[in-house]
Amino acid sequence: MDTSDLDLIADLKNEKTRDLAFQTLVNKYKERLYWHIRKMVMDHDDADDILQNTFIKVWRSVEKFREESSLYTWLYRIATNESLTFINSNKRRSMVPMNDTSEFLMNNLESDVYFDGDEIQLRLQEAILKLPEKQRIVFNLKYFEEMKYEDMSQVLDTSVGALKASFHHAVKKVEEYLKNID
Amino acid sequence: MEELQNIAPELSKIKKENPFKVPEHYFDDFSARLQMKLDAEKIEVPKQQKKIIQLLKPALTMAAGFALLFTLAYWPLKLITPNQQANNTGIEIDINEMLYANMVEGIDQNSFYALLDEPNNSTQLSDEDLAIIVNSNSSEYDIFSETIK
Repeated sequence: MDTSDLDLIADLKNEKTRDLAFQTLVNKYKERLYWHIRKMVMDHDDADDILQNTFIKVWRSVEKFREESSLYTWLYRIATNESLTFINSNKRRSMVPMNDTSEFLMNNLESDVYFDGDEIQLRLQEAILKLPEKQRIVFNLKYFEEMKYEDMSQVLDTSVGALKASFHHAVKKVEEYLKNID
Repeated sequence: MEELQNIAPELSKIKKENPFKVPEHYFDDFSARLQMKLDAEKIEVPKQQKKIIQLLKPALTMAAGFALLFTLAYWPLKLITPNQQANNTGIEIDINEMLYANMVEGIDQNSFYALLDEPNNSTQLSDEDLAIIVNSNSSEYDIFSETIK
C-alpha cells in the first residue's frame, strides 16, 4: 500500500488528527471517485450526491477499516456500492416502467446538460450503457481509468480471471454496437 | 492496447477522452459543501443517544403496539358495556315499577281497606307507599269521604 495512504489511515483512526486527515483524503480522492461515479450514473447532480454519501460513509466507518485492502480500493468499493444502490432504488421509484438499467441511465445521459461529447462519444456511451451491469463497471474501470485487474478484483470482489473475461466480452459487444451504428 | 486494436478496431479509432464536464469550481467547492453536510450530521444525533435509541427501539415498538391494541379493544368495550349495564338496570327498575303499579291498580278499594284492617297482616307499608296506593285508586273526593267517616 502507498506509504502516504498508510499514514493517512493511521491519522484517520486517531481522534486528534481525524478531521485534518479526512480533509486530506477528500482532496486526494474526490476527483477520481467523482469520475468513477459519474460514468456509472451519468448525471452530474446524482454523481455529486453519491460522492458526498460515499465520503460520509467513509467518515462513519473509517474506524472499522481493517486494512485488508488498500485505502484506494476500499474507497472505490464504497463508491461503486453507493452508485449501484442509487441506480437500483431509482429504478424501483420510477413511475415509468423501465426494461432495464440501461434505459434509466440513457435517460440520465440524454438529459444531462454537462455532457460535452461529440456524436461518436455519445454512441460509445450508448454502447457502454447497453452492457450488463458488471461488464459495464469492468469496462469503465479498465478502459477509461486503466485500473489494474488486481485492484479491480478487490473493488468488485471478483477473481482476476473473471474480470479479464468480463472485459473481453464487454469490448466485443461495444465493438459490435459501434460497427452497426450506420 | 495492441490487443484492443486487434479485437476492437472501431473502438480503437475513438479518441479516449472524457466527454463529461462539471460546473465551474465544482471540485474547489466540494470539500466545503461536504464539510457542511458532515457538521450537520454530527449535530443531528449524538452517537451514544443514537445507540440507546437503537437498543430500546424493539421494546418501545412492542410497548406501543400493546398500547394501541389495548386502546383499540378496551375503549370500544368500555363505551358499549357501561351503557348496556345502565340500560339493563333501567329496564329492571321499569319492570319492578310496572309490576308494583299493576298490583296496586289491581286492588279494588274494599280489598285494600280489608287488607289494612286484617290483624295478622305482617306487611308493613310505609306512609309513602300508602299515599301512592291511595292516590292511584281513590279520587280526592273518596279520600275525603273516607276520612270523615
